[in-house]
Amino acid sequence: MDYKDLLNKLIEKGQEKMDEVEAFLVKNKQLDIEIYKGEIDKYSLAESGGLSFRGSSQGKMGYSYTERLEESALDSLVYEALENSKYIEGSDDEIIFSGSESYEEINHYDDSLNQVPTQDKLNFLINLEKEAYSLDERVFAVNACAYQEFEGERYLVNSKGLDLHDKSNGGAAYIFVVVKDDEDTKTGISYRIFYDFSSLDFKEIAKEAVDRAISMLGASNIKSGNYPIIIENTTFANLLSAFTPIFSSDNVQKGLSLLKGKLGEEIASPLLTIVDDPFLKGGFASRNFDDEGTASTFKTIVDNGKLVSFAYNWKTANREGVASTGHASRSYKGPISIAPTNLYVVNGDLDLDEMMALADKGLLINNLEGLHSGLNPVSGDFSLSASGYEIKDGKKARPVNQITIAGNLYEVFKNIVAVGNDLKFGLPSNGYIGSPSILVKSLAVSGE
Amino acid sequence: MLDKDVIEDVLYAALSRGGDFAEIFLEDKYNANMKIVGGILENNISGRDYGVGIRILDKYNSIYAYTNDSSRENLIKVAKEAAQALSQGQVDVRLNLMKEQPSNYNPISLLPSRVLKSEKVDLIRMGYEEAKNYDESISQVTVTYMEEEQNVLIANTEGTLVNDSRVRTRYSVQSVATKGNEMQVGSYSPGASMGFEFYDTIDVKEVAREASRIAKVAINADYCPSGNMPVIIDNEFGGVLFHEACGHALEAEFVSKGTSAFANKEDQLVASPMVTAIDDGTIPNGWGTTNVDDEGTPTQRNVLIENGILKSYLIDKLNGRRMNKPSTGSGRRQSYKFAPTSRMNNTFIDAGDSSLDDMIRATDYGLYAKKLGGGSVNPATGDFNFAVMEGYIVKGGKILKPVRGATLIGNGVKVLELIDMVGDNLELGQGMCGAGSGLIPANVGQPSIRVKSLTVGGRKGDE
Repeated sequence: MDYKDLLNKLIEKGQEKMDEVEAFLVKNKQLDIEIYKGEIDKYSLAESGGLSFRGSSQGKMGYSYTERLEESALDSLVYEALENSKYIEGSDDEIIFSGSESYEEINHYDDSLNQVPTQDKLNFLINLEKEAYSLDERVFAVNACAYQEFEGERYLVNSKGLDLHDKSNGGAAYIFVVVKDDEDTKTGISYRIFYDFSSLDFKEIAKEAVDRAISMLGASNIKSGNYPIIIENTTFANLLSAFTPIFSSDNVQKGLSLLKGKLGEEIASPLLTIVDDPFLKGGFASRNFDDEGTASTFKTIVDNGKLVSFAYNWKTANREGVASTGHASRSYKGPISIAPTNLYVVNGDLDLDEMMALADKGLLINNLEGLHSGLNPVSGDFSLSASGYEIKDGKKARPVNQITIAGNLYEVFKNIVAVGNDLKFGLPSNGYIGSPSILVKSLAVSGE
Repeated sequence: MLDKDVIEDVLYAALSRGGDFAEIFLEDKYNANMKIVGGILENNISGRDYGVGIRILDKYNSIYAYTNDSSRENLIKVAKEAAQALSQGQVDVRLNLMKEQPSNYNPISLLPSRVLKSEKVDLIRMGYEEAKNYDESISQVTVTYMEEEQNVLIANTEGTLVNDSRVRTRYSVQSVATKGNEMQVGSYSPGASMGFEFYDTIDVKEVAREASRIAKVAINADYCPSGNMPVIIDNEFGGVLFHEACGHALEAEFVSKGTSAFANKEDQLVASPMVTAIDDGTIPNGWGTTNVDDEGTPTQRNVLIENGILKSYLIDKLNGRRMNKPSTGSGRRQSYKFAPTSRMNNTFIDAGDSSLDDMIRATDYGLYAKKLGGGSVNPATGDFNFAVMEGYIVKGGKILKPVRGATLIGNGVKVLELIDMVGDNLELGQGMCGAGSGLIPANVGQPSIRVKSLTVGGRKGDE
């Protein structure tokens, strides 16, 4: 289907009733396959999308959206947006953008994924599940053994002459195993995100999940107190991901980030550098324009401990008389907001063994639960259910669970003692966030 | 929403290469949201979600496809594409679709879409002013207004043909209190399966004051000590404890594959005999109430645990096949983009006969968790965690002082055995529950309860 026509008609209709208008269309395709005991358990094929419309009238921006991608839906889109705009207050700052001078050439669509026969994907999953069961007789169940492919397209057209389109795709595979030793039950997960199907190694993925689960058998808690703590790479990435709103200029302006007024100041140990790289090769949030049509650029957020930039869209940039940093983000159901692209902590130079030796004693945490509830992105406080291993005499020792670790993100930033060299990314959600393992001087642990 | 003959043609197409069950789920949903931040009406968005999900079951296998295009031609194409995952021949089915008229548990008197937007703006402005002026420590307030009208049509090869309309309304206030360089958040978000008449049943000013009160208590509180101690969890949203710790593990999705901690425990004592727990999808106008579930099965009242004995799981059609048990009306999904699975509706621990005062008096040293935030659970191990939004240290049978930043962790199977007091003040609280089939509205609930011992995680260390 050619959406150009539909979008141009919407712009035309919009301009009859409003001043500046914009259409943003998202198309998604998704394939999900799950295997259970050697057979297809779930198989899902999806094609869907949504059309977002925004327009300004008397300096106020109104929004509407629909999932009925047909001409008959256009009139009510314009009507709703115009109605909605009437109640908006103080939004002169939000503009429809006419476009950047140039856009970086990038390609994040790999057609090779479409050439892989379905049977190969099924075989991969069957092998993955079988491998997990064969690795250890304590593997009691494989709760999920799944393969996913996704493809996304964006169309951005507006009355200021902007006309942009891009397309991206990728895949994910994961396994979730349950191991049992008498009454002791533990779980382990491992996943891969990929562009290239041939990069998937089922043996390696199965082993990672089973090893994780088995190594937790016999875990118990530890005496409450303050311990040096290494937060493993993807675990720290997930923690950082929950706190990325602190770098949003919108939150800063609204007094919802404690980084307000700290630009140019030391907010972390000099060991910490955080960058946002929209051009990262293999990055699942890579793009050359943001959801307002601004050209994406590489940005350093924290430079050797010093806060050097916030993330802006045009609305927040105009409030301060600066330029957008290309971090506008939107779902077709929502207003323009702010989100990171590929944001990560830059590697240090120690490997995990060297970091444990440096810590001498403490905990290596490789799982944190409750990231959507047990932390407060406004205050930076967190108290999270955790599991991992005790570090004894500089080495990984017994498994530990049923503990919480508690602290404050800003204090964690300042108390970083070492940054690992094992940068790894978490699952993509609101941005694609990565980190190496991080050694923190001390955090409060609650256990026995 | 769809002609009967189109539905039939699509269901036949779905079974063109095998399978023993096919289903259509059509959703047409109108949403509107408004948000006021710092006194400025910043967001005002409305829109329409629209799509069709087609599901084929072949014994234990499930095939699912969805699309936004509900034309006859496209639906048949999508059904046939989905059927490609099977390789048998055409199944001999004769459809006899019977239109069903389920009981209406959610009577609506005023559709929100019929109300002027200016009235809604006044409503959130009123809440904003009230929350902001509550105390000088309140530095920022966000008020969100939400309405949705979800109309669904569900038809399947068992002959089900049913429509359901779900109208939901929610009002949410988040207040931030600031003191020096510190910030704390309080929030309160009541909602119901009601139209605009919901606002005759709640006082938005009271909601606003409650959010600011919680933030103010937190900013003036000391960090919570850590360790194992008795914990009194107050009523209403405190029910998130049962929801996370036990509710998810009672879902057939995990039970049917034997990976839930509660699998194969029917008719066994799994909790303190004081505990009776219920999931009821029929509570009039309840936040998690629907007339039929998202598989078209009428919702019902399911007693999950009675006097400590496990009585029932939460079962959907597919997982029911593995368990050889009928659906309990618990098949739910966020939208047409998700295949349904077993989920909770309105889940609560039933009232007992202690009072909150009794519990505090009976506690020498412990935590009184007055308001809980969200939480999560690993259903295979039963390990759960959740956040305490408002908490107090109890000492010598009296409330001593507020504490902040506490997290409760434990194990679902064990915690049920450790409940030693159950209050008489049952209330329900509203939440959004995220799991395999997406984010759905669900009530949690309980009276005040006391758990003999839980691990409390705080920043202060031992006290």
